Amino acid sequence: MSKKSLYIICLFIIINASFSLQAQKPSIYKVTRMSFNSGIFSEISPVIVKDGIVFCSDRKFSSIKDRTSFDGRRLYNIYIAERKDTSSWSKPEELKSERSTLFNNGPLCVAPDGKTIYFTSEIETGKITKKRSFKNHSGIFTAELSGTNLVSLQPFQYNNQQYNVGQPSVSSDGKYLFFASDMPGGQGGSDLYYCELINGQWSAPVNLGPKINSPGAENFPYMHPSGRLYFSSNRPGGLGNLDVYYSALTFGSWEDPVLMPEPINSASDDFAFIADQNMATGYFSSNRRRSDDIYMFASTIIRKSECDTLVENNYCYELIEENAVKFDTLPFRYEWNFGDGEKGIGPAVEHCYPGPGSYLVQLDVVNLITKEILYNEKSYNLELKAVEQPYISGPDEGTAGQTIKLSADNTNLPGWNIARYYWNFGDETIAIGKEVDKAYINPGTYNVQLIVTSEPEPGGVIRETCVCKNIIVMR
Amino acid sequence: MKLNKTIFIIIISALILGTEAFTTLLGQAVPGKDENIPFLVTFGRHGETSWGDDDFYGVFFFSIPKDYTQQFYIRVFDPDTGGENDEIQGEFNTRCLFAVYGGKGVDPDKNEDSKGLLNGLNYKGGNLLASRIFGSEPRYDNKYYTFGPFNPTSGDFSSKWNSFLFKIVCEGISGDDGNLYRYFLSREPENNLPVEGANAFTYEYTFRMWNDFKSVAHIYPYVDTGVIFIRQRNFDWDNDGHILVVSRYKQGIDVPISNEDDWQESRIGIELPEIGSSLDFQFHKKQGDLVKNNNVVVTLESQRGDALPFFSSPIGGVPVYQAKIKVTQVKKPK
Repeated sequence: MSKKSLYIICLFIIINASFSLQAQKPSIYKVTRMSFNSGIFSEISPVIVKDGIVFCSDRKFSSIKDRTSFDGRRLYNIYIAERKDTSSWSKPEELKSERSTLFNNGPLCVAPDGKTIYFTSEIETGKITKKRSFKNHSGIFTAELSGTNLVSLQPFQYNNQQYNVGQPSVSSDGKYLFFASDMPGGQGGSDLYYCELINGQWSAPVNLGPKINSPGAENFPYMHPSGRLYFSSNRPGGLGNLDVYYSALTFGSWEDPVLMPEPINSASDDFAFIADQNMATGYFSSNRRRSDDIYMFASTIIRKSECDTLVENNYCYELIEENAVKFDTLPFRYEWNFGDGEKGIGPAVEHCYPGPGSYLVQLDVVNLITKEILYNEKSYNLELKAVEQPYISGPDEGTAGQTIKLSADNTNLPGWNIARYYWNFGDETIAIGKEVDKAYINPGTYNVQLIVTSEPEPGGVIRETCVCKNIIVMR
Repeated sequence: MKLNKTIFIIIISALILGTEAFTTLLGQAVPGKDENIPFLVTFGRHGETSWGDDDFYGVFFFSIPKDYTQQFYIRVFDPDTGGENDEIQGEFNTRCLFAVYGGKGVDPDKNEDSKGLLNGLNYKGGNLLASRIFGSEPRYDNKYYTFGPFNPTSGDFSSKWNSFLFKIVCEGISGDDGNLYRYFLSREPENNLPVEGANAFTYEYTFRMWNDFKSVAHIYPYVDTGVIFIRQRNFDWDNDGHILVVSRYKQGIDVPISNEDDWQESRIGIELPEIGSSLDFQFHKKQGDLVKNNNVVVTLESQRGDALPFFSSPIGGVPVYQAKIKVTQVKKPK
């Protein structure tokens, strides 16, 4: 065999091996294309509402009617698909406005009050828009949702005929409005901005800065209730075209955006990401098939909505000779034998025991007048038990990039035959095992969950319990 | 046969001795067994108060249960002033009057004067049932003199104690020596046989301290309903050690003690669970230089000014301190 052949074989093995390793890494998201997507038309920018999903589509209005702009382009309008059950959706119904027939409507967001809609549409609606040479720009508008109608339309005060403003996202507290704009002074292309609601007025737009905005295009911002800002960008380093990234404001500055993993991102355009409160499910748009479609994702990560906060085992006690402490000066000395080899003096003492166990506390009293020692004047049997819970041993703080060790060794679940220790690190990563290593990429406060599952018990019952603790990761 | 006779004699002797010991233990002794006080003390009226008697008389009450219907006796041990027990000042010249009272006027709850706490008041209230003056009389030295018999019904009935009350007063009518004596309430004139359920009490305890460091004397005041705090007063302690006040809830409060020929007083709070029980006033002698033949006086009164009685047999038994441990989890130190 020639050296060249050997080299090719080795290379093939290495590539194959690395591919196999990659293939073994399970995805933490499962993606499903929504059933209400049309075949060839676009469905984009989903918004979760109480009864279903509101989205934008340039689909045919009906088999007879269609909507296009003056220059023949298909118009996007707003639709709602109501959830019929856990897997099926009603036929989308249009949310109409006075702009529906001639202008684009959407993308949009719903304010925390559930009634106010912020949506994107063209700014100019006059006759001038019919001129072929006229370039209209998009702006943000608000409307009130009345049944399936959008009424009382109002333009956003920072709409400008010179540039585009759109794709609004209002924070869950209603205080911040994020949007995309190609207004001058940005980092290039479309950038993300925010306005703050001060005394009922939106402040002047603020560019989110170079950490978020690249020379490429950033758009489709979505501020998750957790404080994470999801957005799409075509910056280098993604999987191709538009990809979904997220970042968070930590200690006053935005962290480096993190690329969402496959299969949320793909080589196609992936954008307009939204998620529920727990990041367990959500939606995004992608043109990974023929057209822009809405996809649902479900996290395969187990994250408990109810998880007990880790209770630190505390074996520190105050021991008081109750009658003695009532008097300032008594001619007695109180000598405590704590039962663990340690001693203390005084009518009231504090002692921390090394751990759970049975300790016989004995109190000797010395009469300072007679010098008589009353041995074991009183005794107390102190039974100390560790809290029955899974236990997370590990640091409370760390630094970004540093590997920290977490252990479930001190778990105290008497009677449990434990099958699995499952760690959710709070950054959409997991691990399984009694002792695990973790390195956080970004600073922040992460809520780590340790979920312990038992082997099946007689009758097939599997017990499961969860504790959590926060780990602060510094820069 | 000789052996059997010897064994029989030994058994009989043991039984007799045992009975004697039993009766001695159970007699209403004043001072009581638990008090561990060697003698009561009364000085002749010409004595100095600095010798340990503030008023030259002592008053003791005996309570005879209502359902006891037999005759009884009050026996006085060493009633004379002379001989080995008494305190001589120069030469024995003291005469003491022992007088037993019954009937109306004895009960201190009805007749405040009867307590004998203040000079000038008629502490001799009641019907005089018997009396005798003792000087230096060797035939009563270290021996008993018996008053009685008395019928219980000749006492002053107290519904509070459901008993007939009698009173014995020892008054140093002349001289300046100290008469040291003890009382016994007995069913028989020649033996100390206890009257079941009987007790003895006083409101001012004048007694002799032990002449050794280790013996601890006690007196047991009874804390009645409504007492919030007590004021203790002690006289002529000669700074001889410590007084500790003990109860089930007090391990030992060190109260201030008096010096030569003066009074010292302090206030002691009473807890609710202490109501209806006895306190234990412990008298610990000073370690080091022995203060010999120390005679002292103690009185107690409630916040209302009512005197508290000291019982020879503590009501509710001798109070024993009960330590109480409370364990509370506290924050782990950082």
